[in-house]
Amino acid sequence: MGAGTAAPTSTKATSTRPKKPAPSRFSIVGSVAFLTLTLVTAWDWEYGVGLSLADLIDGLQRNNSPLQGLLDPDFSRIVADRSREAFLETLQMAVIGTVLGCAAALPLALLSTRIGAPNRAVYYLAKNVSNVIRSLPDLVWALLFVAALSVGTLPGIFALFFFSIAVTAKLTADTVDGIDTGPIEAARASGASHLQTLRTAIVPQILPAYTSWALYTFELNLRASAVLGFVGAGGIGSVINFHRGRGEWAEVWGIVVMFFLIVVVVERVSVTVRRRLL
Amino acid sequence: MSATPLGAAGPVRPEQPSERLKWIVTAVVAAAVLLSTATAGIRWDRLVTAPQDIAGIARLLFANISWERTGQLLLLMWESIAIAWLGTVIASVVAIPLAFFAAENLAGKVTVGVVRTILNILRAVPEIIIAIALIPIFGLTPVTGTIAIAIGSIGTLGKLNAEILETIDPGPVEAADAVGASRIERLRWGVLPQAMPEMAAFMLYRFEINIRVSSVLGLVGAGGIGSALAQYVQFRDFGSAGLALLIVILGTIAVDTLSSGVRRRIIAGPDRGVVEQNTSRAIAEQPV
Repeated sequence: MGAGTAAPTSTKATSTRPKKPAPSRFSIVGSVAFLTLTLVTAWDWEYGVGLSLADLIDGLQRNNSPLQGLLDPDFSRIVADRSREAFLETLQMAVIGTVLGCAAALPLALLSTRIGAPNRAVYYLAKNVSNVIRSLPDLVWALLFVAALSVGTLPGIFALFFFSIAVTAKLTADTVDGIDTGPIEAARASGASHLQTLRTAIVPQILPAYTSWALYTFELNLRASAVLGFVGAGGIGSVINFHRGRGEWAEVWGIVVMFFLIVVVVERVSVTVRRRLL
Repeated sequence: MSATPLGAAGPVRPEQPSERLKWIVTAVVAAAVLLSTATAGIRWDRLVTAPQDIAGIARLLFANISWERTGQLLLLMWESIAIAWLGTVIASVVAIPLAFFAAENLAGKVTVGVVRTILNILRAVPEIIIAIALIPIFGLTPVTGTIAIAIGSIGTLGKLNAEILETIDPGPVEAADAVGASRIERLRWGVLPQAMPEMAAFMLYRFEINIRVSSVLGLVGAGGIGSALAQYVQFRDFGSAGLALLIVILGTIAVDTLSSGVRRRIIAGPDRGVVEQNTSRAIAEQPV
């Protein structure tokens, strides 16, 4: 093009590079906030964690019996009667907690979306309930239910029930927000009630995604149930915690490694099924 | 196409799709639940009294909260947030370079396989178990929690970041190659600018998850508000436990709201309304 001859702005024969755009205010503020927050939290003072390289070097030279146990795990523990029973218990807790939790999560998910809720008040109420449930992690639920119902599998199931509601309700609600509104209009046009609209126009659309989220929740629950026993909520975690308390690290790692091999297998299967669903 | 037969009464309904799979799945799930319920050693007598037990605990927790501990517990909640933030930052610093070796379009097949396997193993182990192994190194301090969260997050962040790198536009990379960029320059100018916003958004997303993780790491003594909560519950100081619980709930929701707002802004840009429709993965992902 003739642009070069038409506008010779500089007499020097330098290449006419476009000027680099100035960084936006958002990215400047963001970078400053990022650096400040990182420094504040890393610094060794009242409001920081106090990371220090000297402590790290010092700590690495200390005798670490847990890590030594990891080098020589005792796999025989997993076939021992006690661990096998506890593992089965873990699986049962995960199944019951997931299924009941996901069943309860579907109505909550529908009510916490604008399309699914019958009115504004219900929408805000359901959304806040879902947010509060979601803000507590699995182990805190377990801690509370152990305090209420004393130790055993029952508090573990209750904990996984609430944790499943938290996960599935949120993910499913997001799915509902993204659905095609055509069928809803069609249902309303043919005079469907709110419940009929949900049943015929919304639920069929989200069912594959919902099933996939339920499977995902099962994976999470299986993994979580390994540590629920730390607060007395049953399952394989109680065996891990027992050996941990006695400092038998080879046994601890034997169980942990075996358990997580099983978790990885379950996850592979679940991921394959979920890919097919979506 | 078969036209509607004129003689037939009423409209022709399309045939119902087969529902066999649905019934099989339902039956399997129902069987699994029944079997589990029947064989798990549940104390059924406890289930009967469970509702009133739970209501009793809720009353104990929230009826008379000991407000005088507010300052101390807020500081512990901040410690949990600090642990989560710093752990996530450290994880990102490790995971972003690792992601280049786990992306199929940027690294060799063998490298991708090896790195992905490592990431998967890291992803499978809960942070609380990592923390146990780290206690002898860092002691019962927040540093243990921070490093445990960092190690636990490398797996997920590495995997997500690799997926982002795999979906980049190859155009800028070709352009970098065409002007003779070195391997590093090619990544710096052709790949990184495209992936950076989504990577930042995913870091924040992981931070939101890690808030929840760090509030329980205290159960094994790795810092944060969890240890206080566990102690109050164990010593049946329910007034203080209720306050701690309240602070965890409100603190988590506050951080969530702030962080997801920033994520939205990173991905959608300043004009929120315009991009509302094609919601990016990084926005859609929720801390769970």
